Amino acid sequence: MSSLEELSHRHEDEAKLAESETVPRGAPILELRGLQKKYGLVEALKPATVTFLAGEIHAIVGENGAGKSTLIKLLTGVIRRTAGEVFWCGKPVQLATPTEAIKRGINAVHQEVVLCAHLSVAANMFLGDEMDRYGLMRKGAMERAAQAVLDDLGFLLPAGALLGSLTIGQQQLVATAKAAMRGIRFLIFDEPTAYLTRQESAQLFRLIRRLRDQGVTIVYISHRMEEVFELADRVSVLRDGTHVGTRLISETNDNELIALMINRTIEQIYHKEKVPIGKTIVETKGLSGPGFEDVSLTVRSGEIVGLYGLIGAGRSEFALGLYGRQPLSAGEVFWDGKKVDIRNERDAMELGIALAPESRRDQGLCLNLPIGLNINLPIFKRLSSGLVIRKGDEAANADQQIRNLSIKTPSRRVLASAMSGGNQQKIVIGKWLSHGARLFIFDEPTVGVDVGTKAEIYRLFGELLKKGAGIILISSYLPEVYELSDRLHVFRGGRLVASHDHRAASHEDVLTQAIGI
Amino acid sequence: MSVETTTESAPAPKKGTNILLGLTLLGLLLFLWLLLGLSTNAFWSPNNISNLLRQGAMTAILAVGQTFVIITAGIDLSVGAIVGFTSVIVAWLLQAGVPLWAAIILTLLMGVAIGAFHGFGIVRMGLPPFIITLATLTSLRGIGLLITNGSTISINHEGFTNFSRTDFLGVPSLFWMVILVAIPAFVFLHLSRWGRYLFAVGSNAEAARLSGVNVNRTIYLAYILSATCAAFVGLLLASRIGIGNATQAEGWELQAIASSVIGGTSLFGAVGSVHGPLLGAFILATINNGANLLNVNSFWQRIITGLLIIVIVYFDQLRRRGSR
Ligand SMILES: Nc1ncnc2c1ncn2[C@@H]1O[C@H](COP(=O)(O)OP(=O)(O)OP(=O)(O)O)[C@@H](O)[C@H]1O
Ligand SMILES: [Mg+2]
Repeated sequence: MSSLEELSHRHEDEAKLAESETVPRGAPILELRGLQKKYGLVEALKPATVTFLAGEIHAIVGENGAGKSTLIKLLTGVIRRTAGEVFWCGKPVQLATPTEAIKRGINAVHQEVVLCAHLSVAANMFLGDEMDRYGLMRKGAMERAAQAVLDDLGFLLPAGALLGSLTIGQQQLVATAKAAMRGIRFLIFDEPTAYLTRQESAQLFRLIRRLRDQGVTIVYISHRMEEVFELADRVSVLRDGTHVGTRLISETNDNELIALMINRTIEQIYHKEKVPIGKTIVETKGLSGPGFEDVSLTVRSGEIVGLYGLIGAGRSEFALGLYGRQPLSAGEVFWDGKKVDIRNERDAMELGIALAPESRRDQGLCLNLPIGLNINLPIFKRLSSGLVIRKGDEAANADQQIRNLSIKTPSRRVLASAMSGGNQQKIVIGKWLSHGARLFIFDEPTVGVDVGTKAEIYRLFGELLKKGAGIILISSYLPEVYELSDRLHVFRGGRLVASHDHRAASHEDVLTQAIGI
Repeated sequence: MSVETTTESAPAPKKGTNILLGLTLLGLLLFLWLLLGLSTNAFWSPNNISNLLRQGAMTAILAVGQTFVIITAGIDLSVGAIVGFTSVIVAWLLQAGVPLWAAIILTLLMGVAIGAFHGFGIVRMGLPPFIITLATLTSLRGIGLLITNGSTISINHEGFTNFSRTDFLGVPSLFWMVILVAIPAFVFLHLSRWGRYLFAVGSNAEAARLSGVNVNRTIYLAYILSATCAAFVGLLLASRIGIGNATQAEGWELQAIASSVIGGTSLFGAVGSVHGPLLGAFILATINNGANLLNVNSFWQRIITGLLIIVIVYFDQLRRRGSR
């Protein structure tokens, strides 16, 4: 028996409950009938009727704000439904609290990692379900058990490390391991690969298939069509909170799904505007700082410079260094050919650099403030006369970006925290579009963004280029950087290890260089 | 893109709920006044009303300053001590023969300096706001007692001490001081970009920094404003009681925090207004005043205040969570 299975049989009562509630593989395990959720007046999920079969991988796709995460939160007891019924193994159930869902064996890896940064990996994995003896925690035993599970799953993570010291992707893997450990029968993934590197994704897929083979039902939410087709048995589509259909994966294709999702077709996602390349805007020479070393590159007007690499390769650190957030230890920066000294973010903005950072939650957004304030934050100086803000301009700019990026909100006054993941990402981008910068650094700009909006963001890139700006595009999603970059730099271990012109190298070459084998 | 936004089903935006809380508090205040007017004869007497306005005025000004700090997700525990300390400073300066205008300016500058020191402790030394302001709370009282040798300094400046007793247009001068502070405070917090920066820093300092907000300066500013409001209240108190005494205004920091919280400020930062703490301060003052008139044991006053804080903040939480 593997350590994973051993741990998942720890609780006798749960095992008994599970035994009493079984259905054969392929029979309906979870049925939703007219399930509905309203937030105040917003109907996030219109009455939906969906059936999940035991032992299948069931993908859910839909635009940003379509209601995917809402559906998941309902199933896991995080929020309570407004109306409708849920049947588990043929019996009606409440699923009113997370505890109830977990007891039945329903578990989820949520879109935003909800774990404790100040606790160790092991402590997080056992959180709420600690091993104890006479009321005292068995720290050593938990750590060993956690490590065994991580090794068993092939995740190369130390169980003793503080969660906060891991990358977002690694934290996502910890959350997955935690879920997989709890004797699950029904496991939901909400955009799990958004922050994962390619190998990490591969590990995750192996785990998902393994769980399915053990009879676990998997729900898989993603904006990446190729993943859906690689993994899923069936796929359900949500549009504007409505369940518009379920298909067998073998009987459908990309185009049909996209058409169901957005009610129209997209000819070309990676549309790269052809803009004449102009003068050099910025040049770095031997730039070094925390997490990156000796990086020399140039960005010219009208050009997209892509930075590809595995997570932790130093691309974001380089961006933060160039932006003045991190002190530089060596090297020089030339702006329009003149040597400049960027000491802080304000110096960078003054020159004309904009940075849309990697983590929307930690760096990008003031979640408990209105969307409008978030969008305007970088440019309040321009929106005010002296110190006093011109309210009209403030509103106009916010509304314009909301329209530009089709951020799905009734008003700019809604708090950013009430937006779906992808819509939050659009706010992070929208902040910078009216800044009038000449160098835009976009760090993972399309994480969690749906296909239609992705195309729209790429079109906006084109517009920035036409205005003479240059773009640094950091992405862990190879097709994106590969197709869009005029010049593609590969990072590994904090260094720039290879550079290619547009489409000059194959996907495989780029990947090999990034991994370093 | 063709995503239609459902405009007709807009959830009540934040601004609306803000006004709603303000109206609720105003309603509560008027209700208390009505109730006290009916149950006591003395409540609506001109004397008592000016007394009430004077009592509330000082807490109100402290609460406004405190709110700036709390919006940045900080706390200023030192304001009560600053009030006592600056009352000593102004008395001392006047005793030394410094002209009144200079004494007032120097005292206010003392507030600026104390606030800047808090900013320094938080920004440069990395101390939590709770700790640095707790430290100044105790030390300022100590320094004030050293200056006065443990006793009080009486103020013999007639013009200065009379000020607190004067009226203007039938309203006590002390209450006019609230308006003098509240109007610029409102413009600052709700209409200026620095006000927006306070909210942004309180919500997510890193996001604010990457958006080009000078986070350090914003923090300095908040603490300087709070301490300067406190120094201003120190002047008003000295005028009212005619002495400088470092042990005065004991516990006023908690009154200020309570007023702010009753007024809808969130201790987690990024939520707050100017009218909220003002109403909060006068609600607290009314309860004290009414309890005195009704001859309620002063121990009970404290209990009632405590319960009121719980009830008001609880209902505010319920309302905020309402849409879950
Ligand atoms: N706490 C909330 N309060 C009000 N509205 C909310 C709240 N959470 C979500 N919504 C709204 O419900 C709708 C569905 O959101 P949901 O998070 O389910 O979308 P999603 O399909 O997961 O999108 P994404 O792909 O962007 O993650 C959105 O319009 C969103 O704005
Ligand atoms: Mg989502």
